Amino acid sequence: MADGHQFNNITLGGRGGTNPGQMKIYSGGIIWKRQGGGKLIEVDKADIMGVTWMKVPRTNQLGVQIKDGLFYKFTGFRDQDVSNLTNFFQNTCGIAVEEKQLSVSGRNWGEVDLNGNMLAFMVGSKQAFEVSLADVSQTQLQGKNDVILEFHVDDTTGANEKDSLMEISFHIPNSNTQFVGDENRP
Amino acid sequence: GENRSSVRTTADLVAYKNINDVPPPREMMIQVDQKNEAVLLPINGSMVPFHVAFIRTVSSQQDTNRNNYIRIIFNVPGTPFNPHDANSMKFQGSIYLKEASFRSKDSRHIGEVVQSIKALRRQVVSRESERAERAT
Repeated sequence: MADGHQFNNITLGGRGGTNPGQMKIYSGGIIWKRQGGGKLIEVDKADIMGVTWMKVPRTNQLGVQIKDGLFYKFTGFRDQDVSNLTNFFQNTCGIAVEEKQLSVSGRNWGEVDLNGNMLAFMVGSKQAFEVSLADVSQTQLQGKNDVILEFHVDDTTGANEKDSLMEISFHIPNSNTQFVGDENRP
Repeated sequence: GENRSSVRTTADLVAYKNINDVPPPREMMIQVDQKNEAVLLPINGSMVPFHVAFIRTVSSQQDTNRNNYIRIIFNVPGTPFNPHDANSMKFQGSIYLKEASFRSKDSRHIGEVVQSIKALRRQVVSRESERAERAT
């Protein structure tokens, strides 16, 4: 291929579930098109802040963080795509790719990491899940130790998930020192 | 005695050892994996597993628009019968996911999920408390 790589079955994940589509990664950036039309994501190379790989069940997930804080997650890459694309990002786009690990241990205790718009729940330095703060409609402090995040309820965005996350809360014990004096922002 | 680090506690339970053991996502809906004693929650387009032993309660509710709400509350330090309190030193500095609530249009599915989480949890908790008794 002259310029870039094309993939036919790449899922865009996020609030509202997942959507299948087509992806092109080329020297100018990335383009993802929803299957059957409707949604197009085009990111210029210059707007890419960071790229990550994560092994997820049976496949691989590409994370693309862009300048305005948004974080796209594309799933459906084979192991050989990962090494090819890592080289491509590095050599053609000049972007170093970072590797993230997924926690599947099932624990509900760990750490909270904030990166741009994303809040990640980390278990043993692996990521259990992340949510976008752009999807949070309200945060509340309950008592001295609990922080509640309420999510926007959006029925319109082609949501194809059956069960929609409405609210999560975190318990921050007094022994935690990470967020002393900043209790409103987990 | 003090030196019991080799004894497995409930807090050491693991839902999946390998990423590929996690069932591939079919639909973005709450799933119960009986074999691995795990509950999988759809969060931001991913299915996120939690071991059922760390769940404290699960309940559901329906509003007048036929929306169904399911609320899952996890164990956190300071709640009764919490396996973490026995060795909370180990987790000092941790932040806990305390609660996750979902909305669903499917009342049958939510009813089934609540029942199967409750049954699985009962089974695992009683097995673990027997194990703990034998160990002392």
